[in-house]
Parts: sequence; C-alpha cells; structure tokens
Amino acid sequence: MIHDFVVLCAAGMLVSVLLMVGQKALVVAIRLYCVQSLLLGAVGIALGLAQHRPHLLVTAALTIVLKAVLIPWFLLRVIDRVGIRREIEPYVNVPASLLLCLGLTVVGYRVSLGMAGASQGVAHQVVGVALSMVLIGLFLMVARRKAITQILALLTVENAVFLVAVGATSGMPLVVELGISFDVILAVLVLGVLVHRIVDRFESMDTSRLSNLRG
Amino acid sequence: MNLLLATLAAPLATAGLGALPGPRRPKEVVLVFGLAATFALAIATAGRFLAGETPVAFDGALRVDGLSALVLVLTAFVGLLSGLYSVGYLERNERAGFVSAKRRTELLALVPAYLAALLLVAVSNNLGILWIAVEATTLASVFLVAFHNRDTSLEAAWKFLVLGSVGLAFALLGTVLLFASGQGVLGEEMSALDCTRLLAHASALHPFTVKLAVVFLLIGYGTKAGLAPMHTWKPDAYREAPSPAGVLMAVGMMNCSVYAILRVHLVSKAVLGPQFSELLLLGLGLASVLVATPFILIQWNLKRLLAYSSIEHVGIMAIGFGLGGEAATLGALLHMTYHTFAKPVAFFSAGTLAQLHRSSDFEEIGGGTLGRTPVASGLLLLATLMVTGSPPFGLFWSEMTILKAGFFGPHLVVVAVFLAALVVLFCGFFYQVGRVTLGPDTKPKERAVLPERLDLAMGTTLLAAAVAVASAFYLPDSLVALVRAAVRVVVSA
Repeated sequence: MIHDFVVLCAAGMLVSVLLMVGQKALVVAIRLYCVQSLLLGAVGIALGLAQHRPHLLVTAALTIVLKAVLIPWFLLRVIDRVGIRREIEPYVNVPASLLLCLGLTVVGYRVSLGMAGASQGVAHQVVGVALSMVLIGLFLMVARRKAITQILALLTVENAVFLVAVGATSGMPLVVELGISFDVILAVLVLGVLVHRIVDRFESMDTSRLSNLRG
Repeated sequence: MNLLLATLAAPLATAGLGALPGPRRPKEVVLVFGLAATFALAIATAGRFLAGETPVAFDGALRVDGLSALVLVLTAFVGLLSGLYSVGYLERNERAGFVSAKRRTELLALVPAYLAALLLVAVSNNLGILWIAVEATTLASVFLVAFHNRDTSLEAAWKFLVLGSVGLAFALLGTVLLFASGQGVLGEEMSALDCTRLLAHASALHPFTVKLAVVFLLIGYGTKAGLAPMHTWKPDAYREAPSPAGVLMAVGMMNCSVYAILRVHLVSKAVLGPQFSELLLLGLGLASVLVATPFILIQWNLKRLLAYSSIEHVGIMAIGFGLGGEAATLGALLHMTYHTFAKPVAFFSAGTLAQLHRSSDFEEIGGGTLGRTPVASGLLLLATLMVTGSPPFGLFWSEMTILKAGFFGPHLVVVAVFLAALVVLFCGFFYQVGRVTLGPDTKPKERAVLPERLDLAMGTTLLAAAVAVASAFYLPDSLVALVRAAVRVVVSA
C-alpha cells in the first residue's frame, strides 16, 4: 500500500518533468517544479511514517517549505521583474524533445537494474525514475535557451538526487541534508541575482546571447 | 580550541570582518593578517600531523591525514599570496578609477570566504561534508568571476555557475549512491559517509552501486578540477576573474578538486580494485592534455592561455594518479606542490601586464612588452620557464618522474602520446608568451600604458617568484615529509 503510494508519487514526478519538457510558458514550468517538489515531500512523509524515521519527516518538511514554496515564489518574482514569460524557439522542438526524453527514461530504467536492492521493487522503481529525471534534466539544460528554464532543469536534477536518497536509502544523514539544502537555496539566490544582472545588460535572458567567449 | 577548527575559523572571521563597512586601511590589514594567521595555523596543524597525531573534529568528519595536510598547507600558502596581491590590486585599480568602494568590500570579503571553503574541502573526511564544501567554494567564487560586471564577466559567471552546478549535481548523486551502497553495513549515521569507514568496510559495499557512484563522482569533481571534456568554464572564468581570485581558482580550487577526486579514487580502489578508476583518470587526464594543446597554439588572450595551461597541469596530475604505483603518485603529488609555487607567479605577472595595458588580449597588448614593463614581463618569462616544466625548475622533475614511471608501466602508448603533447605544449606556450614579451615594440598606438611601479602587488609577485625559484633547489624537510605521507595515503589503501 505504502509502496504503491511511493511509486505513484515518483511516477508523478517523472510526469511533471515530461510536462515541463512539453510546454513553453515559464510560469507553468515553475508551477510544475512546485508540484514535483510537493510529490518529493509526499514520498518523504510516506516513508517516514511507514518506517518510523522521524528525520525523514524533517527533511520532507524542509523540502516542501524550500522547494515547493520558497524557491518557486522567488523564481516567479524574478520572471515578474524581468517580464519574460515564454520559452520561444527552443533549440530542439517539443515533439522531438518528448521522443528523446522517452528514450532517456528507458536508459535510466535500464541502468537502475544493476543497483543494490534491484529485486526489492520499490528501490528499483524509484531509482529508475530518478535516473531518468537526471537525464531529462540534463537534456532540458542543453535544449532550452532561457536562463530560468536552465535553473529549473538544474533543480529537477537536484530533486531527482533527493529522490534517490529517500527511495534507495533511508534518507541522507540530517546534517548533510541540511547542508545540502542550504547550499541549494543559496545557489538559487545567486542564480537569480545573475539573471537580474544578465537581463539588465543584455535586455534578455536568452542564454544563446552569452556567446562572446570562445577559443 | 581545536587547532583544526581554528584553521578554518580564521579565514571565515577574516571574511566576516571584510564584509563590514569601514575605512580601507584597517580592513586591508585585517585581510593580510587574517590570511597570514590562517597560513600559520595550517602549518601548525600539519606540524601536529607530522608529530604523529591525527587532528580530527566533529567525530572524524574532518580529519587530517598526509594528503589533507599537504593540500591544507599548499592552499593556505596560495591564500596568503592572494590576500597580499588583493591589497595591491585594489590600490592600483582604485587609482585608475576601475573599482568602486562597494566592489572593494566584495573582494575583501569573498577572497577569504573562498579560502575558508577551500580549506574545508582539504580536511573533509566525510564525503557529505566534502560535497557541501565544494559547493560552497563555487558559491563563494561566482561573484568573483562576475566582479568586473562586463558583458563577458556575466557570461563567464553564468557558465561557471551552471556548469559547476551540473557537475556538483552529478557529484551529489554519486555521494548518495555511495551512501546507498553501504546500507545495512555502515548504518545511517553521518559517519557512513566517512572515507575512513568506507575504506574499512570496502569488501561489504555493493560493487555495482559503487561503480555507478564513482563514475558520477569523478565526472562531478572532475568538472570542478577542469578536466576535459568538462573544462569549458575555465578559460572564461580565468579571463574575467580578478587576478587574486584567479590564482585561488587556478591553484587552490585545482588542488582541492584533485583532493576530492583522490578520495573517490581511494574508495574505488578499495572496492573495485585499482584498474577501474585508474583507467578513468588516465582517460580524463590524457583528454585534458590533448584538449589544451590546440587551444594554446591558437590562443588570443593571456589569461585564457593560463587557463589552458591549468587544464594541462590537472591533466598531468590525473595521468600520474592514473598510472598508479608509488613512483607515478609521487610524481603527481610533487607536480601539485611545484605547480602551487609556480602558477601564482604566472598569474600575478600576467595580471600586472594586463592591468597596465588595460586588457589581457594579445591584440591589445601588442608585442615587445619587455621594453615597456620590464619587471612584469621578465617575471612572466621566468614563470613561463617554470610553468612549462623547463629544467632546473620543479615541474620538470615531477613531469620526468611521471614519465619515467609511465615508461616502466603497461600504458606505453598513453605515455608516448602524453610526451608528444607535452613537447607541443611547451613550444606553444613559449611561442605565445614570446610573442607578447619579446621582439620589437608593436603596441597599438592609441593605447596608453600605465607606468610600472614597485607596489605591493609587484612585491607579492617578486616574493612568489623567489619562493618558486627557491623551491626548485630546496624543499624544506617537513614539506618533503608531507609529500611522502600523502603518497603513502594514496598508494597504501
């Protein structure tokens, strides 16, 4: 029962990433990231309650507060300020992107078969989803132009790593998890500041403009 | 108070004081004395280690063994040089009106903060703490790359942060997988990520999971080290970062990433046997040396030239560790040591040259700088001799040690290609620096060159040069002992 719920949430995260690949409005992409983080939090709470691990509940709460509330709010504020709302002309168009991501999902599942506890079911499913999300996140990073989309791709990869931590292990040690969360939120703030500066100077957050340095 | 913690607290406190508003002189004094104290504390910590103790903190999450002690001392040394140069750099730039008071505060706070994060990397025994520290170095340095706030600085900073974050996401995944591989054996405590415990229980870890983890970790920390093909942020960041930050990146960051790579390598060796990660390191190292070669030959900018030289040197170290065995490891660690002495001279003299000509592009500097700015150009030539590994300087001996070990090993083809690349790199680097410094004066007419002065920045460069030259002929016994201890750590496990 609880395992089904965890796998369902993990699958939901994968769907949210694929939806992120499939659309162009930045606001929607940020909301999808928010949903994805909520699902990650739900996985943490479910496993924490089922296995009686209070520290998983703490990290799940942290995930929800930071990644489902604070970071999306901050990113929405950034795009509000700079007034850029859509991903126009991605390097790879949407249908092709979705097909490629399907392939990446298969690769992710294939690799996860060799993991410890592959026979146990839950770990395998969850790690499969997580590795697929890592690959899709990297793909998004190179296939899209807008700075915000690149940040979201990065955060997706981060979520995927946390999914491995919760699903395949019993969650990282609390101190390490706190340190990582702190670093992640700082990184998002720094990226946000850089986006501001880039928009100020280039009057666009199209990262393809950032191509003066070569050789 | 724990000596180890004091070593980490000193630069952090310096950074805190540097961030406060206040008159410039006292803040500069705080910076220099703070970093000097850090260096002294690092030496004291290493001294404790040499005396037979193993300084630890937080239940062994931080731990100083031979490798840590070596990296700690080398990094703190570069930190001190960077601090001294920062003061001179600011003075020059403010006289020329390039840097505002706000930017000054930024530099005075971020340089020691960056150093603190680097030192934390160097003493991390726990892989979780190691990751947090490496991420902290990235965050501390990104505004240093964006320091001048030009179009190109923002571009470089964006690339630096995004590529670095992707690399670190990989490293985090690797760390989590390594944690997963020890489930049921090492428990769920923080100490399950301690290198010492992972090594002690190596045979009980799940091999496939460790293999996956090692690949992700090597790619991740390899990105921070600037190993090809994850090196692309390096030339941009080096060009844009102010020289005092650049030298921390080129030497401190490189040593600390190599430290992280070695920790992963050790775990991999213990669990999977030496072959797996040695081949990976050999491949990454050779790729780096080969990638650097053409870009040095066609280079158009002095600081980017130094970046490709860094990529070459980290490649050489990776090849040394990849060849394995005591001799090659000794060569690689000596290479790290001598590189730490030689690179600051190159960075500082190139930085001075760029500052006086107000650009680091070859086209803008023109040829024959030896006539215009004799001291800086002379030092750059000296640094070129050292960095390219000409005898009698240290990098020649370390490269020879690695090559000799390689020719007696099983990877003859790799070593032959490596040697050929080294020769081309040597010629290419000399050609480029020669183009700038020697020959007739071909300065673009419309550009005014600032006069050379013997200021603090120049003094720091001379000091660094004196240390580097001296290191070719004499290494203190204690430093040799540290290198030997580090070799034992890398080889024995």
